[in-house]
Amino acid sequence: MKLRNILLLLALGMLFACEPKIDDFTTTSGGADFSKYVAIGNSLTAGYADKDLYLSGQENSYPAILAYQFEAAGGGEFKQPLMFDEYGFGNRLLLDAAKPGPVPAGVAPDQRNFTSIAAEGPFNNMGVPGAKSFHLVPGAEAYSALNPYYARFAAIPGTSTVLEESVAQNPTFFTCWIGNNDVLGYALAGGAADSITPTALFQMAVGAVLQGMTANGAKGAIANIPNVTDIPFAQFMNTQVPYNGLLMDTTQAAQLTYAYQQFELFLASQGITWDYPEFSPGLNPFMVTDETLPLPAPFNVRPMEQGELFLLTLATDSLPMGMGSVNAMGGNIVPWGIPSQYVLLSNELEEIDQAVVDYNEIIAGLATQFDLALVDMNAKFKTVANQGMEVDGIMFTTAFISGKTFSLDGVHMTAQGYSVAANFFIEAINDKYGSGITTVSPRLYPGIYYYQ
Amino acid sequence: MRKTTLLVVAMCLFGASVFAGGYQVRLQGHRQTGMGLIGVSLFGDASNLFYNPAGLSKMNTKWSIMAGGSGIFSTTAFSLENSVYQTTTDNPIGTPFYIYAAGMVTEKLGVGVGVYTPFGSSAKWDDDWVGSHLIQNISMKVFFIQPTVSYKINDMFSLGAGFVVASGSVELNKSTSYGTPTAVGAAGLSGNTISYGYNVGVTITPNEQFSIGVDYRSRVNMTMEDGDATFTLPTSVESIIPVKNYFNAELPLPANLDIGVAYKPNDKLTLALELNYVFWGVYDSLKFEFKEEPELLNSSNPREYKNTMIFRVGGEYVINDLLTVRAGFYYDPTPTDSEYFTPETPSLNTYGFSAGISIKPTKNLAIDISYLHLETQESVRSYAPEYFTGTYNGRTMIPGIGVSYNF
Repeated sequence: MKLRNILLLLALGMLFACEPKIDDFTTTSGGADFSKYVAIGNSLTAGYADKDLYLSGQENSYPAILAYQFEAAGGGEFKQPLMFDEYGFGNRLLLDAAKPGPVPAGVAPDQRNFTSIAAEGPFNNMGVPGAKSFHLVPGAEAYSALNPYYARFAAIPGTSTVLEESVAQNPTFFTCWIGNNDVLGYALAGGAADSITPTALFQMAVGAVLQGMTANGAKGAIANIPNVTDIPFAQFMNTQVPYNGLLMDTTQAAQLTYAYQQFELFLASQGITWDYPEFSPGLNPFMVTDETLPLPAPFNVRPMEQGELFLLTLATDSLPMGMGSVNAMGGNIVPWGIPSQYVLLSNELEEIDQAVVDYNEIIAGLATQFDLALVDMNAKFKTVANQGMEVDGIMFTTAFISGKTFSLDGVHMTAQGYSVAANFFIEAINDKYGSGITTVSPRLYPGIYYYQ
Repeated sequence: MRKTTLLVVAMCLFGASVFAGGYQVRLQGHRQTGMGLIGVSLFGDASNLFYNPAGLSKMNTKWSIMAGGSGIFSTTAFSLENSVYQTTTDNPIGTPFYIYAAGMVTEKLGVGVGVYTPFGSSAKWDDDWVGSHLIQNISMKVFFIQPTVSYKINDMFSLGAGFVVASGSVELNKSTSYGTPTAVGAAGLSGNTISYGYNVGVTITPNEQFSIGVDYRSRVNMTMEDGDATFTLPTSVESIIPVKNYFNAELPLPANLDIGVAYKPNDKLTLALELNYVFWGVYDSLKFEFKEEPELLNSSNPREYKNTMIFRVGGEYVINDLLTVRAGFYYDPTPTDSEYFTPETPSLNTYGFSAGISIKPTKNLAIDISYLHLETQESVRSYAPEYFTGTYNGRTMIPGIGVSYNF
C-alpha cells in the first residue's frame, strides 16, 4: 500500500510540473545603463518605410530592435507612438506582381492614425519623419504643430520640442541619428526646392541635442550620415534610362540639330549669344534644364553630363513625347529640358557630397566632445553600395527592391535593413562601453514582400 | 465491438507526439510501457503482435484480446539564441492506441491481427512565432494493420512474422514571404498514403528463468503523391504562384532491430534489459516536389538523421492474483543532427521513467495502467541553412490505460 501511495504522489507531482523551463538570457551592460533608453532622430529612427509610417514598420524600427536586445542587459520598457494599422497616413506603397514598380496600397487607413495619442506618452522613440537637425531644438516649437507625424504624439503641439520631451524622460541611454533630411530634402527635390542646412546651424543644433541628453550623465551613441546619392532613389532610374539615352536616326538627328539652330537664332535676336550642341545619329545626351545657365526658360537647357543622376521620380512617360529634346505639341517648337526636380546636376551633387562630408566631420567631433559611441553608417553603407554586405546568407545591396536594403520608396530601409542598422549600433555601443548586447539576425525580420 | 466500428475509431484518433526518438512511438502495450517500453523478450498475450510476433505461439491462454490507448501531454520550450525571446508549443494531446486479437489455434500455431500507431508527430507553435517560416504546426498520423502468424518450433524456439499495411497522413503549415500587410503568406500541405512492411521475430527460452527475444520491424516508406498544397497569397501574386498545387514528398519510417533478455529469478519477479537499434540514417533530407512552378517551389531540406541505439531496463513484480506492479527506465538518444534540427520535430536526447500497474478483477480480465514520464536534455540546436539557432527543452507526460481479456 505504501508503495502505491508514493507512486500516486510522484505521478501527481509530475502532472503539475507541466512546462519545461529554459533559463532567461542575460548579458552585461558594461559601463552603460540601458534602463531608460530614448531614441532621437528622423524617419529612419521612427521606422518609416515604403513611403509611410505604419505599425509593423515601427515595431521593427532599429530603436525597437535595440530596446529588445537591451532587455537582456537591464533594459526597460520602450514605448513608441504606434500607428493603429499597416497603412499609416494612407501613402504606403506595395508591390504588385503584375506591375514593374511599387503601387499605392489604396487602402483607407484607420482614422485613429490621424488623432493625437499624446496621452499614451511619453514615448521612448522620439524619431520624427521629416525632421532636420534644427527641428529638434528650442526655436522649433512650431514644428510640433506643423509636422503631422510629430503633431500626433507631441505632448503640446506648437510648444513641445523633441529635445525637451526627450530630456524630460530622464534617459540613462540614448541614440541620435540626424542629418539625413538636412541634405536629403534638397537632393530628393533634384535641387529644385528646399536647401541644405548650413554647417554652422547643423553644428549648433546637434551640439544642443547632445548637450541636453548628456546633462544628467546619460551615455549614448550617435550615427553619421550615409552618402545620400547611393540610395536607390538617386541610383535606380539611371540603370533604366542612361544620361545619353536620347536615341535618334539620321533624319531625327538632323531635324533636332536644325531645331536647336533655330533656337540659337531666336536667342541672338534677343541679344543672347549661345551655342547649342549638334545631334548625331545614335545615342545623345538628354537635354536637361539648368537654372544656373544665363538663359531664359525654356531655353536654359544643356546636354546631361555623365555622372549626373536621374531620380526615381523621373516621369518616364514624358520622354517619348519629347521631354529631353523639344516640345512640339503646342503651336511653337521650344526646347524641353528635363525638369530639374528629376535630375541631380553636377554642381548639386558636389554640394550634397560636400555637405555629407562636413556634417560627418561635425558628428565625429561631437562624439568625441561628448564621449559617445560613434556609428559610422557612412562607411557601412559605402560597403553595401560598392560590393554588397552579406549577413546570415542574405546579400544586402543598394539595388532597388532586389537589394533587400531599401524599401519601396527607394529612400528608407526595409525591416531587414533596419535590423542590420541596429547591429551597427550594437557593435559600436559594445566597443565603447564594454557591454555584451547581442546582435540580431535579419532572417527574423520581413524583407520587401508586401503585395496587393 | 464490430471490426468496422473498430476501424472507424482507429481512423479518428490522432497519432502520438513523443519527440524522444524522432517521430517514433512505442506505446503499443501497457505492460511494456510500464517496464520502460521493453517488450521483445516478454510474451504471454496478444501485445506481442507488435513487440515480437514469435510470442503469439507462447501465450498463457488460448485467446487474447486487448485494446488500449495513451494520452500524450507534451510541451517543447524554445529560447532564441542570444535573445530574451522564449516560447513554448501548445500541442494537442496525442492519442496512440492499439487493438490486438490473437489465438493459439493449435498448441504450436498462433495467429492474430492488430491495429496500432507506431509513428506520429504533432507540434503546434504560435502562428507568428519567430520560426514560423520553418514550421507553424504539423500533425502526422500513422497506423499499421498487421496480420500475424507465429510458430512454436519447440520449447526453446518460437518464430513469428507479420505483414504490415501502413496508412499515414500528414498536415503541416508554415508562413511564406509573400504576404499582404494584413495577412502573412502561408503554405499548407497535406497528404496521405498507404505503404507496406513486415515484422519478424524469434524468441529463445533456454529455461524457465531466461528468455531472449530478437525482433526486426522493416522500414516503411511513406511516399506521398499528389498531396494537396494550398498557398495563402496576395491577389497579385496568384498569377505567379498558383494557390492550389500538388506535391510529392517521401518520409521514411525507419527499421528497428530489437534485442532483449528477461530473467525470472522466481514466480513473481521479472527483470529485463533491451537494446533497440533504430535505422534512422535513411532519413537524410525531406524533399518537396511541386507539380506547378517546380523551379520556384521545389525544395530539398537536409535532415541528416543518424542511426540510434536505445537502452532500456525494466522490471515487473506480481504482488498477488489481483495486482502486478512495474517500473522501468530508458535512455533514448535523438537521431537528429545538431546543425539540421528543425522545430517541426524537436527531438532531443531523452530519459524515460515509467511505472505501471495491472489489476485483475477476474481471472480473465486485466486492466493495465501505465505512466511514462520523459525529460529531455536541454540542448542548443540549429537549422543552419536558415541560420536559426536556439535552446530547446521538452517534457512529456503519458498516462495510459488498457484492457485485456485472455481466456
